[in-house]
Amino acid sequence: MVIKSSVEDDDSGWGLGIPDKMKNNANWVDITHDFKGACKELNLGELLHDKLFGLFEAMSAIEMMDPKMDAGMIGNQVNRKVLNLEQAIKEGAIKVKDLSLPELIGIIDTCFCCLITWLEGHSLAQTVFTCLYVHNPDLIEEPALKAFALGILKVCDIAREKINKAAVFEEEDFQAMTYGFKMANNVTDLRVTGMLKDVEDELQRKVKSTRSRQGEQRNPEVELEHQQCLALFNRIKFTRLLLTALITFTKKETSSVAEAQKLVAQAADLLPSIHSSIQHGIQSQNDTTKGDHPIMMGFEPLVNQRLLPPTFPRYAKIIKREEMAAYFGKLIERIKAVCDVINTTNLHGILDFFCEFSEQSPCVLSRSLLQTTFLIDNKKVFGTHLMQDMIKDALRYFVSPPVLSYKCCLFNNHQAKDYIDSFVTHCTRPFCSLIQIHGHNRARQRDKLGHILEEFATLQDEAEKVDAALHSLLMKLEPQRQHLACLGTWILYHNLRIMIQYLLSGFELELYSMHEYYYIYWYLSEFLYAWLMSTLSRADSSQIAEERILEEQLKGRSSKKTKKKKKIRPLSKEITMSQAYQNMCAGMYKTMVALDMDGKVRRPQFELDSEQVRYEHRFAPFNSVVTPPPVHYIQFKEMSDLKKYNPPPGSSDLYLAASKHFQQAKLILENVLSPDPEVNRILKVAKPNIVVTKLLAGGHKKDIKVLPEFDFSAHKYFPVVKII
Amino acid sequence: MATMFEENGPSTHEQPDMSSSIQAKQKLEGLLNKNMRIRMTDGRTLVGLFLCTDRDCNVILGSAQEFLKSTDTFSQGEPRVLGLAMIPGHHVVSIEVEADSLEDSQGFVAKH
Repeated sequence: MVIKSSVEDDDSGWGLGIPDKMKNNANWVDITHDFKGACKELNLGELLHDKLFGLFEAMSAIEMMDPKMDAGMIGNQVNRKVLNLEQAIKEGAIKVKDLSLPELIGIIDTCFCCLITWLEGHSLAQTVFTCLYVHNPDLIEEPALKAFALGILKVCDIAREKINKAAVFEEEDFQAMTYGFKMANNVTDLRVTGMLKDVEDELQRKVKSTRSRQGEQRNPEVELEHQQCLALFNRIKFTRLLLTALITFTKKETSSVAEAQKLVAQAADLLPSIHSSIQHGIQSQNDTTKGDHPIMMGFEPLVNQRLLPPTFPRYAKIIKREEMAAYFGKLIERIKAVCDVINTTNLHGILDFFCEFSEQSPCVLSRSLLQTTFLIDNKKVFGTHLMQDMIKDALRYFVSPPVLSYKCCLFNNHQAKDYIDSFVTHCTRPFCSLIQIHGHNRARQRDKLGHILEEFATLQDEAEKVDAALHSLLMKLEPQRQHLACLGTWILYHNLRIMIQYLLSGFELELYSMHEYYYIYWYLSEFLYAWLMSTLSRADSSQIAEERILEEQLKGRSSKKTKKKKKIRPLSKEITMSQAYQNMCAGMYKTMVALDMDGKVRRPQFELDSEQVRYEHRFAPFNSVVTPPPVHYIQFKEMSDLKKYNPPPGSSDLYLAASKHFQQAKLILENVLSPDPEVNRILKVAKPNIVVTKLLAGGHKKDIKVLPEFDFSAHKYFPVVKII
Repeated sequence: MATMFEENGPSTHEQPDMSSSIQAKQKLEGLLNKNMRIRMTDGRTLVGLFLCTDRDCNVILGSAQEFLKSTDTFSQGEPRVLGLAMIPGHHVVSIEVEADSLEDSQGFVAKH
């Protein structure tokens, strides 16, 4: 049984400062009239209060009858007795044996809905544990229900363990509290799946025996029983597959991930028939039109009321059964997507995988599974590779630093090895945190990205020092080679990526006002993307230099002709994409400046702040970064001053320039060999913007002071400009 | 003139009613930190320590507990702990205090 003991024996517990006599109907005296009269004598705004109680304390009071603060306000009044499992069994309010098929189906479906509601961030006490059966499955005599109750408890327990371990949730994502409920810990996972399988087999026999035979006159009752048996069978099987998949995720072998993927796919196959058989289950029986909560047999939404914090709503809104299958379907899709991460071996690829996965704003369970699949027990990537080796591979792939080349004398040099190893070890933690950050929800990610820049600034400093040390070492051994800014370039690349993502996510989260767009896009196009491209091309040339040396060494040994065929540069795609992004940002920047010139951007009346204050706030996290140095407001104003051109451009010149940028972005993207969805998304913005800016350049609706609209529906970061 | 001032609030006519306003304040002060039971317009009852009030009869109760509907029998329904709660004056239906606690606060006793 749960820690929460029966009602009688802890009556004194909640007395909190209220004398016992009150419960014994203390003598209450009505003073309403006098009190109200006395209040009227107070001055307007005057508070009558104790010395120790002031306005400050008063502020933290919850306001009654305010729908936002007063959770108990609507539809919370019930006139029924709240029973716990034992009491309900004693009173005969719930059955523990001989449940009918529709009852079982209804209970299971409601439980599934509770599970989903829990995964969506509600507390266990208000979701899964509103089902009395799971409070103590030992008391259930019906084998199917018992196995199911244990199964659902195990699912909850493993999900909770995974989510806790991954630690990528915040209070808005997930409630980890178990309130001391027992999560079927006295039964092994294997035993529970075994029980589910037994029930499943038994049901399958029934399904077969009621199946229609050829030429047989169908009895509608038998047909109904067949349908119901099948519905229950599918539900039990789904539970078993989901549980087994989650158990498989806890295993340490890489192969288990593929196995889990197979299991959830099987579970997904059952969903259509589960969805179509919802109507076979019993529905809640009370009248909900008066604001009461729907009550199902076996469920009591108020049973855990006393375990909850004071301001919690009395009821959590449980999702509808009709939405259940669709939710599970999406959850399974996400879990399947998570499993694909093991096919990515390169650290950069993994990082991109995490970014892309996070873009769909996945649920906390799938996010956590991704984290725990990536770093098993926080030591090895996918349970097989050392993080240090992954970082070295990423370095080789990105800048081919001589120190990591087998053909370089530094590779076996003691001192060089010490340098690089300690650097790589220092990289481990920030990179693991970076990957963990991408597991958080979108809003939290932004905040955390701002903070991790500090750690990367420290790494940057170290990278430059190690580069210098390795270079001087190399000069002594192999004077024809260089080790300049290799590691530094790599860290700088990540720095820039983080900074860019930080700024762009502000658009996605709708943090910026329209009048702020211009400096954000300016910072991106003129500064961050410019830096990113030069960083990428430095990495690229560093790769080329290393390849040339390798080629020469090969030629020296064998006269075999090296292939002359031009290889696709590994970083070329990224360089191209950066160019496209830069042009999009530049186009947006110029459009915004021109719109402002035409008086089409609403600016706030700065009273307590100024544009500078806002600007500094927007870029504040960049102050901890040394390279690239932050651009301060004054510098920005100087650099973006249009008066330095002769003659200064007017709005139509700027629109035209913007149009060219969008055109350029379009050209670049249309030449991408294998366009991914992202390419198409940007094109969807670039094309209409070419037209709009051209029209604006021609003076279209110049005098109409209607504010333009920015439509971010095609792309999260770049809007389609609309002039109405 | 005098009526106009009255409507604008008692602040302007403090002179003549000084004593009654002080008396009222003393009455209310006598109730501070006493247990109070307030019935709200939606039928719920809050029980807690009287901490603060103002001219509009907005009341703040400390360690408040919420009881549903029935006010006389505590047997029905468990209370919910709310902590610090403010009840807007226009939602206050009735206010009660414990009889014993009235013994030492003058003014309210007279009536009962």
